[in-house]
Amino acid sequence: MSDLNPPTDPERMKTQLPARATRPRNADAKPAASGAEKTRARPGGLFECIAEGRQFESVVHPDAGHDEAVVEIVDFRLWYGETQALHDISFSVPKGKVTALIGPSGCGKSTLIRCVNRMNDLVDSVRVEGQMKLNGDAIYGKGVDVIELRKRIGMVFQKPNPFPMSIFENVVYSLRIDGVRDRHALEEVCESSLRGAGLWDEVKDRLKDSALALSGGQQQRLCIARAIAAEPEVLLLDEPCSALDPIATGRIEDLIDDLKGLYSVLIVTHNMQQASRVSDNTAFMYLGRLVEYGPTETLFLSPSLRETEDYVTGRFG
Amino acid sequence: MSVAPEKPPREGKGAGRRIRRKSSLTSHGEPMVWLTGASLALCLVMISGLLGLVVYQGGRTFWPQEIVQVETLTGDVLMGQVSRVDTFTPSADALDALPDEARVRVEADMRANEGSVARRMLRTENFDLTGTHFDWIEESVIAAETKPEWAVVVERTAKGRFYGVPQAFLVDGEAHTVGSAATWGKFEEHHARILARVEQIHDLERDDLGHINSRIERQRLALREVELARGMESPEWIAKERETRALVEDAEREFVTITDEIGRLRTINDSFALRFETAGGGTAIVSLANIVRGTPVNRIGTAGKWSVYFDRWWEFLTADPREANSEGGVWPALFGTVMMTLLMTIVVVPIGVLAALYLHEYAKQGFLVGVVRVAVNNLAGVPSIVFGVFGLGFFCYIVGATIDDLFFGARLPNPTFGKGGILWASLTLALLTLPVVIVATEEALSAVPNSMREGSYACGATKWQTIWRIVLPRAQPGIMTGAILSIARGAGEVAPLMLVGAVKLAPDLPVDLGTFPYLFPERSFMHLGFHIYDVGFQSQNSEAAKPMVYTTTLLLIAIVVLLNFVAIAIRARLRRRFLGART
Repeated sequence: MSDLNPPTDPERMKTQLPARATRPRNADAKPAASGAEKTRARPGGLFECIAEGRQFESVVHPDAGHDEAVVEIVDFRLWYGETQALHDISFSVPKGKVTALIGPSGCGKSTLIRCVNRMNDLVDSVRVEGQMKLNGDAIYGKGVDVIELRKRIGMVFQKPNPFPMSIFENVVYSLRIDGVRDRHALEEVCESSLRGAGLWDEVKDRLKDSALALSGGQQQRLCIARAIAAEPEVLLLDEPCSALDPIATGRIEDLIDDLKGLYSVLIVTHNMQQASRVSDNTAFMYLGRLVEYGPTETLFLSPSLRETEDYVTGRFG
Repeated sequence: MSVAPEKPPREGKGAGRRIRRKSSLTSHGEPMVWLTGASLALCLVMISGLLGLVVYQGGRTFWPQEIVQVETLTGDVLMGQVSRVDTFTPSADALDALPDEARVRVEADMRANEGSVARRMLRTENFDLTGTHFDWIEESVIAAETKPEWAVVVERTAKGRFYGVPQAFLVDGEAHTVGSAATWGKFEEHHARILARVEQIHDLERDDLGHINSRIERQRLALREVELARGMESPEWIAKERETRALVEDAEREFVTITDEIGRLRTINDSFALRFETAGGGTAIVSLANIVRGTPVNRIGTAGKWSVYFDRWWEFLTADPREANSEGGVWPALFGTVMMTLLMTIVVVPIGVLAALYLHEYAKQGFLVGVVRVAVNNLAGVPSIVFGVFGLGFFCYIVGATIDDLFFGARLPNPTFGKGGILWASLTLALLTLPVVIVATEEALSAVPNSMREGSYACGATKWQTIWRIVLPRAQPGIMTGAILSIARGAGEVAPLMLVGAVKLAPDLPVDLGTFPYLFPERSFMHLGFHIYDVGFQSQNSEAAKPMVYTTTLLLIAIVVLLNFVAIAIRARLRRRFLGART
C-alpha cells in the first residue's frame, strides 16, 4: 500500500485533489482492495461490538505515523459526568498536513478536537484520562498553563463567531491580549493574516467596520485569519463549513488547501467529500472510539475494515 | 369571523379523514385578540389619564388667571381668582342664615338643579387683612361681577398673595404718585432696582456672613481639637485660644460692617411702598421689597400672560422655595433629586455589574449560587421603607457615627456624618436598586453567545480579558437597561429618603463652589418626591399648595423621563458602536 502513501509535497497534493475527490464515490463499485484484512471485523459487526462496549483494536495504518507528530494523542479517555464519551484514543497528527476527523454525529469528533486546546475545561463535569502532547509538551497535567497552551493553538468553530468589534481588532485580538500596542506590527500581522485567509482584497478598505457586517463565509474566513494571526503550531477546525453555503464552503476548502504545509491542521467534518478533498490523513470515529486511522486515500479507497468502507461510501451513517 | 366553507370529503384515500370544523370559541382566536387588545387599551387609557391629569393640572398652575370682583346680595365685596367651580347641597341652617332675597334665589336654584347649588371658590388671599385665603360663593347670591381694570396680583415674599388696585406710590410714607396707571408705572420703574438690592442683601447674608460664620466655626473646631488632644490648659491650647479670640473679634468687626451694609440697603428698600385699595374698600400698604412679582392681570393681554407664565416657570425651576414651600421655586429639590440619583447610579452600577459578573461568569453554578440569586431577586421585592430603616440604622448610626468619632470628634455631640445626608441617601437607594442592576446584568450576560467566549478563550485570552474585551462590550446595552431601570426606580423613591436625609427645607446645596471643600456629602437635601408630600400634606395653605403638588409631580416625571432619555441615548450609541452597521 506504499503507493497510496499521501505525498508530502503540498503543491503536488493540490494537483491531485480533483481526481481524488471523485474517487470515493466509486469505491463500492470496485472489488474490495484488501479482503483479507476485512475479515478482522468481529462476527456480528464491529459497530455492535462497540455499542456493547466490548474491547477492540483500532486500526492505525502504519503509513500515517511516519511524519513528525505535532499533536500526539495517547490512550485518551473522557467522561461527561458518568458517561464516557471517548475511549482509549491514540493517534498522532502529523506536522504540516491536514488531518480530518470523520464519523457520525455524536461520535466524539468535536469533543476530541476541543480536548486539544482544552476547551472542555470550560465544562464543569468533564474528566479526562490519558495524555495529549503538543510538539512533545504535555497538554494535560499539573503545571500546564492552559492560557499559554491555547496561545500555541488556533481554533475555528462551527458557527462563525467574530467578536463585536472592527475587522482589524478581530484579526489582531490575540496580539491585543498579549499587550502588543505597536500599531505598525499590528497592521502588518492584520494584513498578512487576512491575506493568508484570502480575505484581504475584500475587506482592506473597511478594516474599521464592524466584523458583524460581513457575510457568513467572510466571517468564517475572518475567524481563520484571527486563528492564524497568532502563528499557531496547530490549527483546529471544528466543522468550519457546516453553517456555510456551497460557494463559501468551496472557498474555505481552497483556503485549507493553501494553508497546508504552512500550518498543521486538524479538521472535524461531516462531509465525506470534504474530508477526501482536503485531508492527507483521516481518522474515522464511532461512538467515542477511533475505528480506523490512516492516509486519506487508503481510508477512502481500501480501508481495512468493512465498517469504514460502509461509512465512507455512505452505506452507513 | 369567517368560517371556512365545509369542503366535501376527498375521494379515495382521504375519504376516511375526519372533517375538522371550527366549532369551539377558542379555536377561532378572535376573542383572544379582543381580550389582549382590550387589556392594552385599558393600560393605555390609565397611563394617558395619569399623564394627562398631571400635565393639565401641573401645566396650568402658573397661568395668570383674570381677577374678578364680585358683590354679593349680603353686601360683601370679594376680589380674587376663581380656583374651582362645583355644586353642593346647602344645609337648612346655612339657608336660614341667608338674607331673604338671597335665600329665595338659592332655593330657586336648588329647585332647578335637583337640590344642588353651583358655587365657586375664589382665591381672595390678603391673609394678613382677612384671615382667609379662599372663599366659597354661591353663584345665585352674586349681585354684580366686574373685572376691575387695574386689579393686581401681588406675589409677596411672605404672607401669601395680595389682591388690590394700586392707588399711590409711596416714598418714605408720602404719596409720591397717585392714580393706578401712574402708580403702576412708578412701580415698574423702581421694582427691578429694589429686587437687585434684595438679591444683594441675600448674597451678603448667605455668602459673606456665611463665610464669616464658617470661618469662626472652623477656628472653634480647631481649638476644640487642640483641647481634646492636649488638654484645656496646655500652652498649645492657650496659644490657639488667643488666636481664636483675635479671629472672632476680627470676624465680629467684619460682621458689623456687613450688617450695616445690609441695614443701609434695607432702609433704602423700605422707603418705597405701594398703597392698594382692597376689595372691601379699605387700603393696605405693601413695601416694594416684599413684592416678588406684581401682575395687572386684567390688562396685560395674552402675550403678557404668556410672559408671566414662563417667568413663573423659570422662578419655579431656579428659585428657593418661599412660604413653607407652597410658593416660589424648587431648585434645591431639583438639584437634590438629580444629584442623589446620579450618586446612586455611580455607586450601584459598578457594584451591581461586578456582582453579576461573579454570579454569572466566575461562580460555579450550583445550589449556593441559586440561593444567592433567589435572595437577590427577593431583595427587589422588599418594601422600600425597610431599606430606609436599614440605611438609618447602618449608614447613619453605625458608619456615620464611626466616621464622626474618627475624624469629626471636635464637632461632637453635633453629628456630621452620623445623621441623614445625601451620601447615605444615595447609598441606601443604591442598595435598594442593586437587585435591578444585578438581574438586568445577568440577563445581558446570558444573552452573550457562548461562542464569543469560546472564540476568545481559543485565542488564549484569560477569563478577565474575555469578560473585559468581549462579554462586557456585548452586554453593555443590557447593562445600560439595568441602569435605566434603577434610575427610574431610584429617582421616584421617597419613603426611605425620609429616614436618611431628605428634609423639608435645605437651601444649602450639597455642592457649594464658594466654600471649601465644595462637596458636602453629609448635608441633608431636598427631594422632589418628598417635596410633593410636604407641599401637599404638610402645608398650612393646602388649597393654594394643590396646584404646586401637580406642578412638582410634573417636574418629577419630567426629570425621570429626562434621565431615562439620556441613558437610552447612551445605550443606543453603545449599540451602534458594538453591534455594527447591521443592527
